[in-house]
Amino acid sequence: MLASIVLGLVAGTIYGLLAVGIVLIYKGSRVLNFAQGEIGTFSLYVTSILSTQMHAPYLVAAAGAVITAGLIGFLFELLVVRRMGGASRLTVTIATVGLLTLLISLEFMRFGPAPQPVPSPVEGVGPVIAGVYISPSQELSVVIILLLGAALTIFLRYTDFGLAVMATAQDATAVRLMGIPLSRVTAFTWTTGCAVAAVAALLISPTIGIGVAPNFMGLLFVSALAAALVGGLTSLPGAFVGGLVIGVIEGLSFQAGSVVTAVPGFKEIAIFAVILAVLLFRPQGLLGKEA
Amino acid sequence: MSAEVLSVEGVTAGFGSNTVLHGVTYKVHQGEIAGVFGLNGAGKSVSMKVVAGVVPAWSGKITLNGQDVTRLSPEKRVARGIANVPQGRQVFPALTVEQNLRLGAYTLRRRDRGKYKPLLESMYERFPVLGKRKDQLAGTMSGGEQASLAVARALMSEPSLLLIDEPSAGLAPKVVEELFETLREINRGGVTMLLVEQNVTFGLKLVQTAHIMQRGRIVYEGEVASLDRDRVAEYLGIGRLLKPGITTNKNGAAKAPRKTRKAPAPKAAGQPSN
Amino acid sequence: MLTPRRTNVLLVAFLAAVLPPLTYRLMPAWFPSSFWLLLGYAAVFAAAALSLNLLMGYAGQISLGHAALLGIGAFTSGLITSKLGQSMAVGIPAAALAGGLVALLVGLPALRLKGLYLAIITLSLGYMMVNSIFRMSIFAGGSAGVEMPRRIAGDLLLNNHADYLAMSLVVLLGIWLVDSNVTRSKLGRAFAAIREDEAVAQAFGINVSRYKLMAFVLSGAIAGLAGALYGHLSFSVSADTFSFEKISLPLVIMVVVGGLGSRVGVAVAAFFFMLFPQLPVLNNLHGWDLVIGAFLLMYTVARHPGGFTEMIAEARDRRRKRALAKAAQPGQDEDIEEKGAIPKLPSLPRPSGLAERPQVAGANLLEVEDVRVAFGGLRAVDGASLEVPRGQIVGLIGPNGAGKSTLFNAISGLVRPDSGVVRFLGQEIQDLAPHARAERGIARTFQNIGLAKSLTVRQNLLLAQHIVAGYNPVQALGFTRKTARVEAELLERADQALAALDFERFAHEPLRNLSHGQQRIVEIGCALVTAPELIMLDEPSAGMSPGAAENLALRLRDLRDELGRTVLLIEHNVPLVLDVCDYIYVLNYGSVLAHGSTAMIARQPEVIGAYFGEEVVA
Repeated sequence: MLASIVLGLVAGTIYGLLAVGIVLIYKGSRVLNFAQGEIGTFSLYVTSILSTQMHAPYLVAAAGAVITAGLIGFLFELLVVRRMGGASRLTVTIATVGLLTLLISLEFMRFGPAPQPVPSPVEGVGPVIAGVYISPSQELSVVIILLLGAALTIFLRYTDFGLAVMATAQDATAVRLMGIPLSRVTAFTWTTGCAVAAVAALLISPTIGIGVAPNFMGLLFVSALAAALVGGLTSLPGAFVGGLVIGVIEGLSFQAGSVVTAVPGFKEIAIFAVILAVLLFRPQGLLGKEA
Repeated sequence: MSAEVLSVEGVTAGFGSNTVLHGVTYKVHQGEIAGVFGLNGAGKSVSMKVVAGVVPAWSGKITLNGQDVTRLSPEKRVARGIANVPQGRQVFPALTVEQNLRLGAYTLRRRDRGKYKPLLESMYERFPVLGKRKDQLAGTMSGGEQASLAVARALMSEPSLLLIDEPSAGLAPKVVEELFETLREINRGGVTMLLVEQNVTFGLKLVQTAHIMQRGRIVYEGEVASLDRDRVAEYLGIGRLLKPGITTNKNGAAKAPRKTRKAPAPKAAGQPSN
Repeated sequence: MLTPRRTNVLLVAFLAAVLPPLTYRLMPAWFPSSFWLLLGYAAVFAAAALSLNLLMGYAGQISLGHAALLGIGAFTSGLITSKLGQSMAVGIPAAALAGGLVALLVGLPALRLKGLYLAIITLSLGYMMVNSIFRMSIFAGGSAGVEMPRRIAGDLLLNNHADYLAMSLVVLLGIWLVDSNVTRSKLGRAFAAIREDEAVAQAFGINVSRYKLMAFVLSGAIAGLAGALYGHLSFSVSADTFSFEKISLPLVIMVVVGGLGSRVGVAVAAFFFMLFPQLPVLNNLHGWDLVIGAFLLMYTVARHPGGFTEMIAEARDRRRKRALAKAAQPGQDEDIEEKGAIPKLPSLPRPSGLAERPQVAGANLLEVEDVRVAFGGLRAVDGASLEVPRGQIVGLIGPNGAGKSTLFNAISGLVRPDSGVVRFLGQEIQDLAPHARAERGIARTFQNIGLAKSLTVRQNLLLAQHIVAGYNPVQALGFTRKTARVEAELLERADQALAALDFERFAHEPLRNLSHGQQRIVEIGCALVTAPELIMLDEPSAGMSPGAAENLALRLRDLRDELGRTVLLIEHNVPLVLDVCDYIYVLNYGSVLAHGSTAMIARQPEVIGAYFGEEVVA
């Protein structure tokens, strides 16, 4: 029981991180980026190529992934979202589905369905907490996410540009009327939101440990989406807390699934149930103000 | 005559196939408070949004301090010296008072960071309520306090032209008077202002020059003192009401007679006696 | 009775059923079995794409888990035909039922809300189905999947691909007919209004969440049917058949590239994307087809949200416009704008589909008692009360921000009052949804035109009659004789209204091409077309020339004196208000500052003061 919770929390930090990326873009442009997860997958392929084919050290390969992801977000905002101007949120959201399709099909085309190897950041033996073995990569992941969270919080609270990002979510027109270049704010949210997806993908991949295949992040993205929804879609702390909640629920459902073997995929049922429950009972989320 | 701060020449604008402004022309001079008046739907709000850059001009020319800004984005116009007090105030509700002011100074802090602190202190002096509540979330303040914040936020960019869109909407008359008094003081300090206001009596008392719009055109304009009351009243759709007892106070502002101060009319729950 | 339409349908059905089997048997060398299999997949995907189009294209709701609905259909029919040994004639309808049922359960919580929630929950549904439910041994026979025999009866199987294609095409034709019945009935109009603007749809009296749910359930049923066809075509399915990337995503591409809302375009796109990559010339596509599809999708949504069908239509339009360059353009019509001519408002007979309204004692049609509405900290309406006697024009004036429009919303139902009573025809209605209030006889206009801007003038007039379209959704899907009769009646009333307004020349013009003044007239026409008891007009004269405003006064008086309607009017144009109103309420700071007969209000300087900013001790 306690073991499932600990493991759930560890995984939950990664969902939280991915959810923060989703919410960041949603706050900046009122668009749900359905390609978020796949951008993470795509960037893992970059890591794989850099390390296995070009023998680059891990840090270089990982940096390549994060830069690729950020670049995809930046270009998509520049070339697609911005040009759609007054289009409805529905059409912009469909455009993100287009990006998702593009990335998946590129992956299939180049590598096929077979998984490609992704290097692990650290080797060695980790500690045992509450009877659970925590691998060094999981340890590292928790530390990195907490550091990233702190950095993002400080940036958003204490810099002019960070405040402008927060203000954009509240009133985008007023932001322009203050002389703040709105286009730079949205470019930032898309770039950062997508780069964060690459970080999440890099951190989760050693734990899953099968390398990267097309739509590798698909299910994780759904978990993160559920986390963002639990947090209310517009709240960054809410999204992170939502990630932890989803992580723990998944951990517990995984344990339940090992008992009830007749039903495979307990985790997927749990996520679906969480989304259903949020929509039924608290559509504004735990910390969100408006849906 | 003092220098032109703003010149709007033959501007047309609208939405889709719906033309709202049919060639609007007017000027705002250094140090004055100018006002655009008109009935709802006359295009007065759009005429301001075209100056702010939120609504693009289809044709015509907008000049700010001698520079053509017609094609510039709203944010670039702020950098050139326009500041906005938007309709409904539009303060950032989930940010604190000080964070709101800091965003108002976004362009200033990029030009000259050293000016920020003293300017912020001077705002707290002018609006003591903001100083007292600098860490309060703007969304939790009253309408009047939000109005002060919106004005202070706009002034934080040290603008050469302050655009004020419908400042009186939703505010109690007493609060509007205080707000207008503050605006008058700020104007005396040398800030040029352009005002859009549907509250005509209040508005005419504040501005020095009035531009009256009807269906997307300026139909009548001039210094307030020189305007013909009847024509003003007619254009603003209040003709029959204001005509009988209209008086002129010594500033030249149009004014309805003020006899009793308390409305003797039956209160809300009363039965119509028809 | 054989109408031309029915003859055509029967002809097409006959061809679909006879051509493939016959061709295969006559020329097996030219058209081998694999050819018919390929066409079979194309037909099945066309059915699935039509299902998604109904949801996305018509109603504007996104599903990212359509694969799950197809899968449910396939597994349902598979179990029925293999485990229970029943015919496909049982399995395939059951599949449609199952698909619709799951859509109902999933859509119920998601579609009450406005926004992208359906996309989120369907995405999650897709993963749950593929990774869990479809792998359960009790449901689908474990990871091996389920056999899907093409059983007709007993041991009679439809194993020939050409024969199966014939069956699939006939089913596809059926779906096509149902789909076309959706678009030519009130269902399609309601979906279009919802896609355009949910608030507008509500004001038309459309129960938005119910219609969104209806679109999803219908889409789910067709998807279930398509899934069953797909499964039997492949002889067996497993959980992996229905993955996100193999079905849900390609369907989105087909629908968007084919043109959201275009039946023909979507079906053509489905055939194109299924057949094109298989051309022998393109033997080495290596997945380029999907990459190209994804690019096309992004290009289409960014540049031509109506898809290729719209691009073709636009090009045709441009050519036509060039041809008659000098012809009169709508929106530049000078009658209303310059001369101020406002057409006489239509006097229409009471629609037959209208429920009897209670005749209550007492002169007041509408009573508002102490209504309060707050947004956040702002008390927009703060204890307002008013009465509207039958057969009068009552004015509601006050400065911007006084709460007039919010009070209108509280009466028409777009906002729910925090407290207070709204009584209409003697019944309390403050807890009713907007569409229910419209049914009771409240019609209204909006400050910024509450019509569907991308629909034509005539479609708007038809939409406005939603509440009197007295047939149920099932009758709409079958387009029964009753539906046809009611639709003909609605159309006649719409055309009568157009004729009365002298707007026939704009009948097929999208509303957004009209000038503001013209749109306003159409809006008032729409408000009148259902014979409402109370007509609430929010600043009808805004943006009109002084001449037009004077004419408007005439028309408003006609409303009262000739058409016998009751009017509640928000208006800033004071001469107009004084001209037409029998009684006036002055609103400020959310409550009634003064009220009285027009003559009385006009005499009170305090009222003028409050309205125009003269200080009044509050």
